[in-house]
Amino acid sequence: MRDVMLSGRLATRGGGAVRNAVHLLALVFLLLAIAFGVIAWAAGDTFYLRLATEALIFAGLAMSVDILLGYTGLLSLGQALYFGLGAYTSAVVLRDIGPSFWLAMGMTLVLATLAGTLGGFIANRVKGVYFALITFGLAQVVAKVVYNTRELGASDGLIGVPEITIPLGLFTVEAANPAAFFLFVLAFVLLLYAGIAYLMDTPFGRTLTAIRANDRRVPFLGSNPLVYRMLAYVLAANVAALTGALYPMLRGFVSPELMFFHTSGNAVITVIVGGVGTLIGPILGSVLLTALRSVVGTWTEHHLIVIGVLFMLSVILLPKGLIGAIRPWLQHRLTGSETPR
Amino acid sequence: MPEFLDYFQFVLAPQMLNGLSLGVAVILMALGLTIIFGLLDVINMAHGEFYAIGAFLALSVGALGFDFWVMLAVVPLMMVPIGWLTEQVLIQRVFHSRERHILTLLLTFGFGMVLEDVLKLVYGPNTQKPPTPIGGGTEILGIFLPNYRLFLIVFGAALILAVWLVVFRSRLGAMVRAAAWDKDMASSLGVPVRLVYSGTFAFGVALAGLSGVLLAPIYSVFPTMGRDFILMAFTVVIVGGMGSIQGAVVAGVLLTQVQAISSLYISPVWSDPLVFGIMVMVLMVRPQGLFGKLGNA
Repeated sequence: MRDVMLSGRLATRGGGAVRNAVHLLALVFLLLAIAFGVIAWAAGDTFYLRLATEALIFAGLAMSVDILLGYTGLLSLGQALYFGLGAYTSAVVLRDIGPSFWLAMGMTLVLATLAGTLGGFIANRVKGVYFALITFGLAQVVAKVVYNTRELGASDGLIGVPEITIPLGLFTVEAANPAAFFLFVLAFVLLLYAGIAYLMDTPFGRTLTAIRANDRRVPFLGSNPLVYRMLAYVLAANVAALTGALYPMLRGFVSPELMFFHTSGNAVITVIVGGVGTLIGPILGSVLLTALRSVVGTWTEHHLIVIGVLFMLSVILLPKGLIGAIRPWLQHRLTGSETPR
Repeated sequence: MPEFLDYFQFVLAPQMLNGLSLGVAVILMALGLTIIFGLLDVINMAHGEFYAIGAFLALSVGALGFDFWVMLAVVPLMMVPIGWLTEQVLIQRVFHSRERHILTLLLTFGFGMVLEDVLKLVYGPNTQKPPTPIGGGTEILGIFLPNYRLFLIVFGAALILAVWLVVFRSRLGAMVRAAAWDKDMASSLGVPVRLVYSGTFAFGVALAGLSGVLLAPIYSVFPTMGRDFILMAFTVVIVGGMGSIQGAVVAGVLLTQVQAISSLYISPVWSDPLVFGIMVMVLMVRPQGLFGKLGNA
C-alpha cells in the first residue's frame, strides 16, 4: 500500500504542486492573521478581534462540511446540529460543572462521537439528495426540541457562561483577553486544518476521495464504502462540535440559532464560495464572508440578498470557489508548468 | 362506550379533520416538489419560499380590494412566470452538469434565501393575518367543523384529483411522463422536452403558491413561513417516494394524521420528531419510499 502511494506521488508531480499551493495559502493566511492580531492588539481593539475569532470558529464548521462534501461527496445540510451540540455541551459543562477547558472539550468529544455515530447510522442509510434532506431534517428536529426544552434555556438559550482560563502546559490563555483568545482559536483551527489535511493525504483520505468519485467501484478495491462514510461523518461531527465548543467561551452564551438551518446553510455557502475540497478554502471563505456581512450590514440589514446572490453566482460561475480560481495561477507560479489540473 | 363516542365526537374527530385540512395543503406542496423531482431530478429548496410568495401575493391582491376567490384564481397565474423564469435562468444553467443534483439544490437554496430577504424588504418582517374568507361552522354528524377548513378539504381534494387526472389521463400528462421516463426518446417522438421542463417547474411553483393562498387565513403570513412547512413537505415526499404522486397523497394524509392524533397525547413539540422518526424507519425498510417514481408507474 505504502509503495503504491509513494509511486503515485512520484508519478504526479502536479499533485505535489497542488498541495504546495494550498499549503502556501495556509501559511500566508497564518501570517496575515497573526499580523492582524498584533495590529488589533496594539490598537486596543476588541470588536474586530472578537469578530475575527467568530469567523475562525465558523471556519471550523465549514471545514467539517468540506470533509463531507469536498472529500466524500456527501452534502450535509445539517452540520449545525453538531456545532450546536458542541456549543451547548461546552456551555453546560463550563456553567454547571466547572470552568475547565479540557473537561468541556473532552465531554464534547465524547458526546459528538456518540451523536455522530447515531446520526451517521441514520444519514448513511441513503446517498445523494436523500442524504442532504435527511441531515437537514435531523438538524431541524433536534433544533426544534432544544428550542422547546426549558432545561436548555428554550428559545433564550443559555447565558452566563463564565470566562475561563485555558491551561496550555507552559502558559495559560485568558478567554476574556480578545487578542490572546483570537490567537488561541487561530492556532486551534489551523491545527485542526493541518490534522485533517494530513488525514486526507493518507490512504483513509484517498478512499474518501474514491467514494466521492465512484462509490460503486470502491468495494473492488477491498474497502467498504459504508465504513469509510461513517468514519468521515463522525470525524466531521467532531470537527464541527469541537469548534462549536469554543463559541460560548467567546460570547459567553449559546442560543438555539446555532443549530438552525441558517447556520448549516451558511457553512455550505462558505465552503462553496471558498472552494470545495480544499479545506483552506472554507477558512478563507469564512473570513471573507464574515467581513462582507459586517461591511454590508453597516448600510443595510438585508445582507442575505447580497450573500445569496454572491453564492448563486459562485455556484454558476466559480464552481470550484475562490481557491479553485486562484490555485491554477499559483501552481503555475510555483512550478512554472502550463498544466493546471 | 358512550364515553368513547363523546371522546370521538368532541376530541378525536375534530382533530383528525383539522389534520386532514392541513394534510391537503401539505399534499399540494409535496405534489409540486415531487413532480419537479420526478421530471427534472431537481430538489427545489426554494419551494417553501414560493409558498410564502403565494401567501404574500394573496395579501397584496386582497389589499387591492379583491376578494378571496379572485386571489385563488390570480395568484397561481402570477406564480407561473416566476417559476418559468426560475427554471430558465437558474436551473438550466447547471442542468447539464454532472453534479446536477447537488448544484440545483445549492442554487435553489441560495435563491430561496434571496427570495426570503426580498419578501422582508417588500412586506416587512412582521406577521400579518388575513381575514378568514369563509366564516362560521357546520355540524356534520354531530362533529363541529369551521367552514373554511371544510372548504379547504373539499377544494384541496378536488385539486389533487385534477392534478392526478392531468398527469395520468391527459395528453399533456402523457408528454410529461414520457419526458420523465426517457427524455431523448420523448424528444424524438416530438415532445417539446424543454418546454415541458419549464412548464412543469412553473406548474409546481404555482401549486406551492396556491397552498400559500389557502393556508394564509389559518396560519399567519410572515417572510420565513416557508421554513417550518418545507420540512413536512420534504418528509412527505421522501416517505411517499421521490417523484411519486400517489406516494405524496398517501404519505401526506398518513403523516399529518399521525401528527394531529399524536399531539392529543404528547406535547406537540414531540410530534415533529415522531413524524421524522417514521420517515427514518421507512427509509430503513424501503429507501426508495412507499411508491415508485413518476414515469415508472
